[in-house]
Amino acid sequence: MNSENVKLLNKERLDDFLKVLFRDCIVFGPTRKGNMLLFDRIESIDDIVLGRGNTMNSVKDALFPQKENLFNYRHGDEGTEIQKPSAEEKGMVLFGVRPCDAQGLLLLDKVFGGGQKDPYYIDKRSKVAIIGIACENPDPACFCLALGGGPCSTKGSDLLLIDIGDKYLVKAGTPKGIAFFEEKVFEDADDEALAKASLVEKKAEESMNRAALGEAGIGEALEKRLEKLFDDPIWGEVTESCLGCGVCTYLCPTCHCFDILDETVKSTGERIRIWDSCQFPLFTRQASGFNPRPSSKERFRQRIMHKFCYLPKNENLPGCVGCGRCVTKCPVNLDIREVIKKISLREAT
Amino acid sequence: MSQLIHEIKEAARDFLRDGEDRTVIGFEQGSLPLQSRPCFIRKENDLERLVWNGFCKNNLAGYLPKRKGKIAIVVKGCDSRALVELIKENQITRDQLVIIGVACNGMIDRNKIEADMDGESIVDVEEGEDVLTIKGTNSSKVFDRKEYLYDHCKVCTNPVPVIHDILLGQRDSNTPQAPVNDTFSDLEDFSALDGKERWKYFTEEMNKCIRCYACRNACPMCYCPECFVDASRPQWVGKSTDLSDTMIFHLMRAFHLAGRCVGCGACEQACPMGVDIRKLNRRLQKDVMDLFHYKAGCNLEEKTPLATFRTDDSDSFMVEP
Amino acid sequence: MENPYIPFFMRIEDIVLETEDRKIKTFILAFVNEEDEARFSYVPGQFSEVSVFGKGEAPFGMASTPTRPEHLEFSVSAIGVVTEALHNLNKGDVIGVRGPLGNGYPIEKFKGKNLLLIGGGFGFSTLRSLTNYILHDPNRADFNDLTIIYGARNPGLLLYKADLEVWKKRSDINLHLTVDKEADGWKGHVGLVPNIVRSVAPGAENTFVVICGPPVMMKFTLPVVKELGFSDENIIFSLEMRMKCGIGKCGRCNMGNKYICSDGPVFFQSELARLTGEAHF
Repeated sequence: MNSENVKLLNKERLDDFLKVLFRDCIVFGPTRKGNMLLFDRIESIDDIVLGRGNTMNSVKDALFPQKENLFNYRHGDEGTEIQKPSAEEKGMVLFGVRPCDAQGLLLLDKVFGGGQKDPYYIDKRSKVAIIGIACENPDPACFCLALGGGPCSTKGSDLLLIDIGDKYLVKAGTPKGIAFFEEKVFEDADDEALAKASLVEKKAEESMNRAALGEAGIGEALEKRLEKLFDDPIWGEVTESCLGCGVCTYLCPTCHCFDILDETVKSTGERIRIWDSCQFPLFTRQASGFNPRPSSKERFRQRIMHKFCYLPKNENLPGCVGCGRCVTKCPVNLDIREVIKKISLREAT
Repeated sequence: MSQLIHEIKEAARDFLRDGEDRTVIGFEQGSLPLQSRPCFIRKENDLERLVWNGFCKNNLAGYLPKRKGKIAIVVKGCDSRALVELIKENQITRDQLVIIGVACNGMIDRNKIEADMDGESIVDVEEGEDVLTIKGTNSSKVFDRKEYLYDHCKVCTNPVPVIHDILLGQRDSNTPQAPVNDTFSDLEDFSALDGKERWKYFTEEMNKCIRCYACRNACPMCYCPECFVDASRPQWVGKSTDLSDTMIFHLMRAFHLAGRCVGCGACEQACPMGVDIRKLNRRLQKDVMDLFHYKAGCNLEEKTPLATFRTDDSDSFMVEP
Repeated sequence: MENPYIPFFMRIEDIVLETEDRKIKTFILAFVNEEDEARFSYVPGQFSEVSVFGKGEAPFGMASTPTRPEHLEFSVSAIGVVTEALHNLNKGDVIGVRGPLGNGYPIEKFKGKNLLLIGGGFGFSTLRSLTNYILHDPNRADFNDLTIIYGARNPGLLLYKADLEVWKKRSDINLHLTVDKEADGWKGHVGLVPNIVRSVAPGAENTFVVICGPPVMMKFTLPVVKELGFSDENIIFSLEMRMKCGIGKCGRCNMGNKYICSDGPVFFQSELARLTGEAHF
C-alpha cells in the first residue's frame, strides 16, 4: 500500500482535525435531532454524532437541497428583472459520510454534470470535500456489497476514516484527500494498523446480510431480465401494498427528480426547484389528463427500472448504492431487495 | 400467540373456501426484525404467510376505499373504528367484508427500541408476553413491552374491535388500559403550556417534515382522488418545504380529519422523520368530543357530526369567540 | 458556467386566435435582446420552455420556421395554469423563453426523399414548422414529394388556416385535410386520421413518414403506415411527455432509458421498438 495514501489519526486528535475543517468551510455531518440521526449543517464540533448507524436522510441534501432558489424575478414598471443567485463563497465539507452515500454522489455527478451542466449542483460540488467514515457494523438492511460498494469502500470519498481502536486508519481516495495529509494531526501508518483495518473490513463484510438478495446479481443480467419482464404480472403482485408516498425517493442517496415552480408575493418572487417523486400520481400526468403511469404498479416499476436498468445503461453505474434506507423506512416494508430477488427468479411468461 | 395465529389462518381459510375471487388482507412477516407488513392473499397455499405479533402496526383499512369484491380483513381495535367510518362514508360496503377482529395488546414502537440500543443494530427479536428480548450486534437486551408501545397505543380506548364477524384473541389484563371514555389526559401538559411555547414546539416539529406524504397515504381516512395539496387551479398550498406551507398542509389535513380520525397512529408510524403529527389530531378529537359528544368509529348508526347539521349543534364559536 | 435554467426575454408582437372555441392561440414573439436573437438557432421539431414569471413554465414545440429567424411562434392551448396565464397576456407583454431544446427532425436524412407528414390536432405545430422550412426557397429543391395529412375534430379546430390556404395553392405539395365528422361547408376529407392515411397516402418507397398528434392517434396510425410498407427506420414520431427542466435532469419525462426532452422528442420507430418502458403504443 502506497504510504502516501494512508495515514493514521489518533482519536484524541479528531477534534483538532475537525477544527481545521470548521476554520475554512461550512461543515455538514451527522447530528441528533430528537430521536433521529440526521445529516445536517453543523455549527459546533460537539453536535457531531458518530458511531450511531447511518443518518435518516442522505448526504445529497447538502449538494441538492430539497428547496433551492434558481433565480428571483421582479415585475417593475420597466419590465421584468431576473436576478441570479450568488454562488456560495465558502467551501463545504461533508463529514462522517458513509461509503454508500459517498458512492451515491458519483451517480449524481453524472446526472447533473452530463449534457447541459447543472450549475447549482456543480458549483457546490467543485467546492466540497467528502470525509467518510467506514462501517464496522452494517445494518441488516444494508446491501452495498451487491452494488459495487462496501463498508470500507473509498469510492466517492476524499478521505475515509476506519476505526481501528484508539486510532482511525485514514485512506485518501483522491488527490484532494491526499492534500489533507499536510495537516499535522496525521501520523504515518504502520503495518499493524493496516492489518487491523483489513480485519475491520473483513468482519464488516462477513456480517452483512446476504439472504435478502440471495444469489440475485445486480448487473447486465438483471438489466436484461427487467426488460424482458416489463409487462409481467409480477409487478402487480409485488406492489399491491405500496402506499405511493415519497419516503423511498426522498431518503434515497441517488434519487434526483425535481419539480420547478414559481412562488410569488405581489410583484416579486422566486423560481425554485423542489424534490419530486416518480411515486406521486401527478408526476407524469399530462395537461390533457392522460397519465402513462396511472397506478402505483407502473410507478413502482419505474423506480426499479430506472435504478437497475435505465441508469446503468446510460451511465455505466448502478442507480442504487444499497444504503437500505428505503428498506427500513418504507411504511409497509416493501423491500427492494426482495423485489430484485423475485425478478431474478421469475421465468418470463 | 401461535394459537391465535392459527385461528386467524383458519378464519381466512374458511373465507377463501366460501367463494371465488376473494382477497384476504392481513399481516405477514417483514424482511427486517421488528417489522410485520400488509399482505394480500388469494390462494389457500399462501395462508401460511399470515402472522400476528406486536409489529402488526399498519392500519389495513386504508386498502379498502373503492375496492371491489369480497374481502376478509384483519383488524385491531383502532383499525375497526376506521372501518366503521369508511363504511359510513360509502367507501366500502359492509356486506363486502368479513371482518376478522383481533383483540390488540398494543404495537411496539421500533424507533423507541432503536433509540435505546446504544447504537447497536438490531439483529433479532424474541417477543414474549411481557418482554421483548432484542439481540443486537454485540449484546442482548430485554425491554419491558408496555414501556415501548406506540404513544397512541398507550392512550388506546378500544383495543378490542368494535365491529367484527369473528373476534379472536384477548386483551391482556397486564397491559394498562385507558378508560373507554377518553379523558385526553395526555394533552394536559401540552395544553397548559404558554402559547409561545406551544408554537415553538409546533414549529420545530414542522421543520422536520419533508413533505413525503407518507402520513397522508398511510391514513385510512385520506382517500381523496385529488388531495388539496395537489390542486393547482386554484393552488391552495405551496409544495415546497417552506415552513408556512408545511404548517398549512398539516393543519388543513388535521381539520379534514376532524370527527373522522380514530387515533390509529398510522400517520406517526409512517413518518420517516419522527414528526409529532398526532398532536393536532388528538386535540381535534377532544374538541369534537367537547362540542359534539362524538368519538369517531364507535358504531355504524351514529352520524358523523361535521357532515350532519342538527339544530342543537354547539354554536359557541359564534357567541364566545 | 452557463445556466440552462435562466430564460431570456421575448415580447409578444402578435397573437393569432386559431380556433373558434378560443382555446388555442399562436403567440408571435420577438427577442428583447439582440444577443439572444443572434444566439438562438433551431431546427424544426425542437421545442422551448416558455415562462410566465409567477405562474411557471411550459414546453411548446416551435411552430415557426428557422428560415424566418426574427420571430418565434408557439401555439398554446389554454388547459392549465401556465397556458391560461399566457392566454391572458396581451401584445407588448414580456415573457421568458428557454431553448432551443430537444433534438429536432433529422432534416439531413430527409434530403432527396419523399416526405409524408401526418398531424393530428394540436400536434401539428412542429409539422407546420417543418413544412414551412421545406417550402422556403431554395430548400424545396432538396426534397422530393411532400404530402401532408392533417386532421382535427372539426374545421374550426384546424390551426394555421392562413398557411393552409397558401399551401393549397402550391403545386409542389399534396395537402389533405380531414375532420372527424361532416360539417357545413366542409369540402375536404371526412374521417379519422388513420383511416384517411390508409386511403390517400402515397407509397412507402424512398419516403419518410413523420407522425405527431395525440397518443391515441399515433397508436392507430402506426399499424396503418406499416401496412403501407413503411419500415421502422422510416417511421418517425414526435412524442410528448410531462416535462419540466427540458434538459434531462428532473427525471419527469424519462421513458425507458431515454429522456423525451433531451434524447427526443423526435424518435425513429426503430428506436422506440427497442425501448423498454411506456414507449409502446
